Amino acid sequence: METFVIALITGVLVGGIYALVALGWVIIYKCSGVLNLAMGELTLIGAYVTLTFYTAGVPFIPAVLLTLVVGAVLGYLTERIFLDKLIGEPILAVIMVTVGLSFFLKGLVEFLWGTDTRVFTPPVFSIEPITLSFLKISPVYLWSFILSIVLLILLVSFFKFTSWGLSMQATADDETAALSLGVSARFVYAASWAIAFMSAGVGGALLGNINGINISVGHLGLLVLPAVVLGGLNSIPGAIVGGITIGVLQNLAGTYLDVYFPGGVKEIVPFVFMTVFLLFKPYGLWGWERIERV
Amino acid sequence: MSSVWLPCGDYHETYSQDQGWWQTSLIRFKMISLLAFVFIGCPWALPEGWHWIAYALAGLGVILFLVKIIANPPDFKGEWVLYPFVLALFMLYRLPDYYLSVMVMIGYYGMGALGVQLLIGYTGLITLGHAAFIAVGAYVSALMVLYFHWPQFILDAGLAYPISIVVAGVFAGFWSVLFGLPSAKVKGFYLILTTMAAQFITVDFILTQYVAQIGGRGQAFSLPPGTIKVGPWVIDSDVKIYFVMAVILTLMVAFVANLFRSRVGRAWVAIRDNDIAAETMGINIVQYKLLAFFVAGFLGGVTGAFWLSNTAALSPEHFPWFLSLWLVGVILIGGVGSIHGAILGALFMVLITESLQWSVIPLTDYYDEVADTLNPGQLKNILDWLVPKLLMDFAYIKDMVFGLAICAFLIFEPNGLSYRWWQTKNYFNLWPFSY
Repeated sequence: METFVIALITGVLVGGIYALVALGWVIIYKCSGVLNLAMGELTLIGAYVTLTFYTAGVPFIPAVLLTLVVGAVLGYLTERIFLDKLIGEPILAVIMVTVGLSFFLKGLVEFLWGTDTRVFTPPVFSIEPITLSFLKISPVYLWSFILSIVLLILLVSFFKFTSWGLSMQATADDETAALSLGVSARFVYAASWAIAFMSAGVGGALLGNINGINISVGHLGLLVLPAVVLGGLNSIPGAIVGGITIGVLQNLAGTYLDVYFPGGVKEIVPFVFMTVFLLFKPYGLWGWERIERV
Repeated sequence: MSSVWLPCGDYHETYSQDQGWWQTSLIRFKMISLLAFVFIGCPWALPEGWHWIAYALAGLGVILFLVKIIANPPDFKGEWVLYPFVLALFMLYRLPDYYLSVMVMIGYYGMGALGVQLLIGYTGLITLGHAAFIAVGAYVSALMVLYFHWPQFILDAGLAYPISIVVAGVFAGFWSVLFGLPSAKVKGFYLILTTMAAQFITVDFILTQYVAQIGGRGQAFSLPPGTIKVGPWVIDSDVKIYFVMAVILTLMVAFVANLFRSRVGRAWVAIRDNDIAAETMGINIVQYKLLAFFVAGFLGGVTGAFWLSNTAALSPEHFPWFLSLWLVGVILIGGVGSIHGAILGALFMVLITESLQWSVIPLTDYYDEVADTLNPGQLKNILDWLVPKLLMDFAYIKDMVFGLAICAFLIFEPNGLSYRWWQTKNYFNLWPFSY
C-alpha cells in the first residue's frame, strides 16, 4: 500500500511536468495545425539553456525566466524561418519539417554541449527528502510540480483572459473568421511556437533537475505524445489530464512491472498504452472527432 | 523506329510486348549499361596482364560498327554495336575499396528507403518506425546464423546465410503487420504514433533488454569471421559485401517495380490517393494496408539481414529511432512516390556527408598551419575552440546538415531529386525540340 501511494504521488508530481510540455504541444496543434515531433529537442534546449545560465551564476528562478525569454525568441525564429513557408502544405510535409528540425536541434545541442550527463551544481533543491508520516518525497519533485502548476495556471489564464490568448483561440476555432476580424494569423502561429518553446524549455529544466541532463531528456520530451493522444490532440484539459496520467502510469509500471520485465519497462509502458488506446479510442478523451467524406 | 519514343501507330500485339520492361532500344541500352556499371564497372577490373581482352572487345565493337554501316543487315539493332565498348571500358577500371564501402552504405540506405517508400510513397501510410523492422531482420538472421543447428550439407553449401535472409524478411514482415494492425482503424498522425511505438517497443525494449542478452555476451552479437558465407564465398572484403549489396538491391528494385505495376500496386496507389474512394471501388482497404506493411517489413528484414554482412558485431544501437527518421528523410529528399527517389535520396545523403567529411579534414589541417599567424583575440579563441571540434564532433554536424537538408527540400523542392532527374531526362530525350 505504501509503495503504491508513493508511486502514485511521484507519478502525479512528474506528470505535472509532462502536462506542461504537453500543453505546449497542444497549443501549437490547436493554433496552427502543426503536429510537432521536435518536442523532445525543445525540452533538451530548454534544459541546457537553463543549465548554462545556472552555471554562469544566475540563481535558478531567474535562470528559468531567462530561459523563457530565449525560448520565446527561438520559437519565433523557428516559426518564421521554417514553418511559415509551409502553411497549407500536406500534413506529411509539415510533420517532416518538424522532424528535420529535431535532427537539426539535436545535432546543435550535441555539438554545443556534448553528450555527457551534466548536473546542476550546486544542486538547486536540497537532497533531504520531505517526510510526511511514511511518505518520503524528494523536494525536486514537489517544487517542480508546484512550478509547473503555476505555469500551467498562467498559460491557461493567458488563453482565457488576454486579448492575445483570445485571438489565438479564435484562430484555432475558425481561421477565416478570425482573419476577417483583424486577427493576424501569422502572429498567432509565431506566438504559439514561442509558447511551445517556453513551456517545453521550462519542462526540460525541471526534468533535468531530477536525473541530470543528457540526450535522454529529449526522449522524456517524446512522452508528451502518449499524453496528448490520451487527452485528445486539441484539448487543453486533455493535455493536463493526459500528462498526469502518463506520469502515474509510468511510475506504477516502474514499481510493479519491473519485477517481471526487468530493464526499461518504465520508458516503454506509455507507448504500449498509447498503441492499445489508439485501437479503441483514436480521438482521445476530449479530442474532436473528424468525420470524413469523399 | 525511333530509339527514344515508341512511334505513333506502332501497337503492341501481345501481352508480353505490352508489359515489356525495356520498350525501346535506348531504354534497353541505358538499363543494360547501368547493370554492367553496377556489377562490372564498379567492383571489378581485369587483372594485370589480361587487359588485351578489353582491347579485343573494343576491336570487336569497331568491326560490328563497320558491319552496321557497310552491310546494315535488317535485323541488326543499332545499339548492340555500343555494348562491346561499354563492357571494355568497365573492365579496365574499378573503384577503390573506400568508394565501394561508400556504395555499400548507399545501397543499405537505398534498400531501407525502398520499404519506407512503399509505405509512405505508394500506400500513404506514414511510418516512423522502419528501423525496428530492419533491426528485427538483422537479429533474426544473426540468431539463425549463430545458434540454429544447420545440417552439415547446408553449411557446406554456404546456404545458411541466404536462407536466413529470407526467413528474416518473412519474420520482420509479420512483425510489421502486428504494428500495422492499428492502421485498420487510424490513419495520418495517429498511425505515425503507432509506428513510433513499434520502434521503441521493438528496439529499445525487446531487442536491447532481451534478445541482445542471448548468449550472455552483453550488448553486441559478435559475428566470428567466416560465419557469413554465401555459396562458396566467405563475405569478408569490401568487394564481396558490395556484390551482396548489388544483388539484393537489384532484386529488390525489380521486385518492387513489378509489384507497383500489378493489381496490388494499383490498389495501394488508390488507397494513397483517396482511401474512402478506393473502398467504394471495391478494394479491401484493411487487407491491402496490411499487405503493404508485410511487404515493407519484408524488405526491411532483408535489409537488416544484409547489414549483417557489413558489420562485425551487431548491436541494437545500429537501429536507433534516428535511423527511421533518416530513412524517411532520404525519401523526402529523393522524392516521395518513386523508386528513383529512394536510391537518389540515399545517394545524395551519403555523398553529402562524405564530402563534408572530406572538406572538414583539410580545413582543420589548414587552420593548424595558419593558427599561429592570426592575431590573438576573441575571434581566435572562438576559432581555436570551434575548428578542432568540427572534426571531433563530426557526427553531430552530420545530423544538423541532414535536418537542414530535409527542411530545405520540403520548403524549396517538395518533389525531390527524382523530379529533377525526370526533368533532366526529358530535356535530353526531346532535345533539341523540347516542346
